[in-house]
Amino acid sequence: MDVQMQKINKSFDDSGRRRTIFCSTSARFPSGSVTVIVGKSGVGKSSLLNLISGIDLPDSGQLRVGDHCISDMTDTERTLFRRRHIGFIYQFFNLIPVLTVLENVILIAELDRVSPKTYLPRAQTLLEQVGLWDRRSDFPETLSGGEQQRVAIVRALVNNPDLVLADEPTGNLDQDTGRKIMQMISSLVRDQRKTLIMVTHSPDAAAWADQMFAVADCDLAAMDGPFHEPSHG
Amino acid sequence: MNRLMGSRTLIRTCLRHSRRHLLRTLLLIFGIAMGVAGVVAIDMAKTSVEKSFEMSTTALVSRATHQITGARLEIPQSVFTKLRTRLGIHRSAPVISRHVTVPELDDRIMTLMGVDPFSETHFRHLPLGTDNRDLSAVMTGSTGVFIAQSHAGRFGLDIGSPLTISLGGRNTTVTVAGILDSPDKALLQMLEGLVVTDISAAQEILDMGDHITRIDLILDRKDVAKEIQEPLPEGVFLVETDQQNHAVRGLSRSFENSLTAFSMLALFMGIFLIYNTVSFSVSRRHRLHAILRALGATRSGIFFTVMAEVMVYAVIGSILGVLLGILMGKGAVQAVIATVSEMYFTLTVGQTDIAGITLAKGLVAGILTSMVAGLFPALGAAGTRPVSLMHKSVSEHRFQKMIPGLFAAGLVILTAAALLMRTGPAQAGYDFTGLFMIFFGAALLTPLIIRVLVRTLLAAGERLLGIMLTMALRNITRSLRQTSVLMASLMVVTSVYIGIEVMTGSFRQSIVQWVDDHIGGHVHVSSADERHPALDPDLVARIRQLPGVAAVSAYNIHPVFSRAAGKVHLFSYESNQSVMRWSWTAAPETELASLLESGWIFVSEIFARQHQVEPEAGAAVILETREGPISFQIAGIFRDFFMGGGRVVMSRPTMARYWGHDDITAMQLFLASDTPAKPVMDEIQEMIPPGSLIQVRSGAEIKQSILAVFDNTFIITSALQVLTAMVALTGILNAVMALLLERTREIGILRACGTLPGQVRQLLIHECFFYGLIAGIMAIPLGAVLSWILIHVINQRAFGWTYDMVLTPGVMVQAVVLSSAAALAAGIFPALAAGRTHISEALHME
Repeated sequence: MDVQMQKINKSFDDSGRRRTIFCSTSARFPSGSVTVIVGKSGVGKSSLLNLISGIDLPDSGQLRVGDHCISDMTDTERTLFRRRHIGFIYQFFNLIPVLTVLENVILIAELDRVSPKTYLPRAQTLLEQVGLWDRRSDFPETLSGGEQQRVAIVRALVNNPDLVLADEPTGNLDQDTGRKIMQMISSLVRDQRKTLIMVTHSPDAAAWADQMFAVADCDLAAMDGPFHEPSHG
Repeated sequence: MNRLMGSRTLIRTCLRHSRRHLLRTLLLIFGIAMGVAGVVAIDMAKTSVEKSFEMSTTALVSRATHQITGARLEIPQSVFTKLRTRLGIHRSAPVISRHVTVPELDDRIMTLMGVDPFSETHFRHLPLGTDNRDLSAVMTGSTGVFIAQSHAGRFGLDIGSPLTISLGGRNTTVTVAGILDSPDKALLQMLEGLVVTDISAAQEILDMGDHITRIDLILDRKDVAKEIQEPLPEGVFLVETDQQNHAVRGLSRSFENSLTAFSMLALFMGIFLIYNTVSFSVSRRHRLHAILRALGATRSGIFFTVMAEVMVYAVIGSILGVLLGILMGKGAVQAVIATVSEMYFTLTVGQTDIAGITLAKGLVAGILTSMVAGLFPALGAAGTRPVSLMHKSVSEHRFQKMIPGLFAAGLVILTAAALLMRTGPAQAGYDFTGLFMIFFGAALLTPLIIRVLVRTLLAAGERLLGIMLTMALRNITRSLRQTSVLMASLMVVTSVYIGIEVMTGSFRQSIVQWVDDHIGGHVHVSSADERHPALDPDLVARIRQLPGVAAVSAYNIHPVFSRAAGKVHLFSYESNQSVMRWSWTAAPETELASLLESGWIFVSEIFARQHQVEPEAGAAVILETREGPISFQIAGIFRDFFMGGGRVVMSRPTMARYWGHDDITAMQLFLASDTPAKPVMDEIQEMIPPGSLIQVRSGAEIKQSILAVFDNTFIITSALQVLTAMVALTGILNAVMALLLERTREIGILRACGTLPGQVRQLLIHECFFYGLIAGIMAIPLGAVLSWILIHVINQRAFGWTYDMVLTPGVMVQAVVLSSAAALAAGIFPALAAGRTHISEALHME
């Protein structure tokens, strides 16, 4: 599923001052690719993900995910689109503390009234792949940071989304765990031919990217490759 | 100086935090204000009753130290003549005093006071207007009366205006002969309850012949009192004025104390509110406190900062509460004075009194309560570990570990409360301390009960509940430190609802039963003539013979003097067809009829209480009779709702011998099943000679009027119930808002993952519903205990009556529905707000 940004403008109110983060920005993230977004703190990397996922709307311009024009959808349509087509991975894992590992994973499917027969086998497969099926009844607080992020990855992938958005997925993990998590995300995404857009500060991240963009000066600037791709080389 | 500056910065930090959550801060202040307002309003009502009583009686008794009165509440005027001529007691004054209604003064109840102007100089100041004419000079006609200037002005009356004096259906027209006026406002207020005339005019108006109500005396020495008592005829006796007033005033004390305690209940709910709000506020600032601690703020610095913040709210809330209390107090004064007048003694002056001490009490109660409530959260904040050592949700973990200990402490407090109420002195203060301990103890049990209930619900229906309901339930146990306080508040307020509902419901049912059992006749014929209440025997005989009359109860009722209660009513039955299922509170002897015939008496429980009769068969009480004080053996104490000083049932020979009454003053007719009441009542009306003061009323009418009187007594209790509920609901709304605010990030995650705003709202509404449901379930046993205490301890002491507790499933269902609805109502606003959560902002919240 391609993601296309066309002449996107976005600004917001920052303590009474208008702050522009994107000014007539255009970019394309091809289907099945891994895109890494880098940039300084506060330049609007997370805001970009929010725009792509429909959490936020651009002031003007068009944002298309596949055949869907996100910027023209209502809030409910965007929510349902997000639920069915987008998986999110966050820096702070953002698991629901009162749900077990398995419940966290199947939460969205249950909300979408998908039959358990459909999502349970997939949840089991993915949890087994990340080595956490045995801990499916545990609550997030009993898991380590790395384990929590693995659960978050499974949650992002369980409803078979076309697009995965990751916001600093290794930012809260040590280097070694971060590398393993990156490897996991990359292999799962590539195996299942998903589009991944990932915001990161990690210098290692380029190693997993098909393309890289830098957010600077209210725009997205493509960075030159080549990028090393250890998982499919 | 540095330290002071540091504290200022800390306080500023807290106050800014409060300003950011302005709505919740305002709710907290409103809650404190409501609690304080209740205390002020009730205290105002109490001091106003005190003041009104004082003013209603001071104008009557003035400087008299003693009174001579009679067993039948009147004495021959000749006693006064003998006192003056034979004993030479010059500081004495004959008085006639009776409550009458004056239609021209808006049907106000007034004291018609007959005085002897020549004897009055030692006793009362009765000003006669600006020209200061002498009372005796004006009272030349037999029907001239004086009224207060304020009434004359308000109702457009002047000298020469006609005035109607109404007593027991007899109307007498008199003329305004003078206006009582004085520059002394206090005196003028006292005079407002009086219609003054001279002795002979009063005797004529009241048809008292040559009798007077009493003789007022000023005696300096005790031995003089003895000298006076000895030559008095039998049935006439000397009493001390203060003692007598004290006995009458005491009748309503317990009732007033119970109102104070009910008002404290509202303030007690305020403790939960303040504790809730402050602890939520402290919890939200956990990280801030941890940072401040890491930067060098001391534990005491943080403690005093939190307390100072609470103090600011407390002072603002208490001042507002005092002002609100004054407004509410005016309504409470009217309601309480009306109840006291209907149930205990007539207050002819209704005085709203706003005492400085009342306002001070409100302020102190509000501030102290707030300080106590803020203490634990402040200590919790002071115990915050510096940020480097901080572990998220450490305080919740600590609390979860404490839950079994809290449960045990709750059980200990409940046991102590039960012991206090069982063995402590029978005083409202002790009872309500016990009650508060029960609330507090029960609140300590709640965390464990909630945990068990939620786990049971989850275990029973986890698969059926679905993920949203499961989340809602688990959210409750996840933050038990906060949710348990919220649910405990809801439980307490729901139990108060159950308690008051069961109390009033049971009471009403008992009243209906009592009316049916004791005065269940279809038609009632009674004398309204206070002076000559006897029904004509011929009329009685003719009524008995009326077609359709299946049976007749005929009896007499006479008010007599009582040293302990001022006035009691004596009953003796000639024939008794009522079901008369006496509800004995102390077992009577088996041979009731023969005991009555041999001079024993039955007394009502109110009488027993006023006369301090121990509830055991064989006890005795001394009554003033026309033969002097006589001791009567008590065969039993019966359950009764006849108010005043209570009543005594005796045989007709006993009544005739000791009080000289062998008449019939009232009849109840029991009609054949196919006979309607109306034609019989019409026939009786035709038999009654014109001008006779006889009332003919249907049983249904009497029942309705009795129920209306008793329903009025609970108006103030119900108003306090509403006030308590408002304080509690303010607290609950505040707590729910705070609790849901803490979920903002979680809601952001859910929304980001694809949860619709409606689903988020649903989740929070479910959560609130469970708060209410669980609190409602927990409130049922607590409400049942509270009902029992209200009926068998507090209400019994306040009014002197007992009745059976009727706890219906309907009340329990109502309570659970109410509790759930209250929690849902509190959750609606935050849930709507949660549906509009800005996802990206929520995700970045810490």
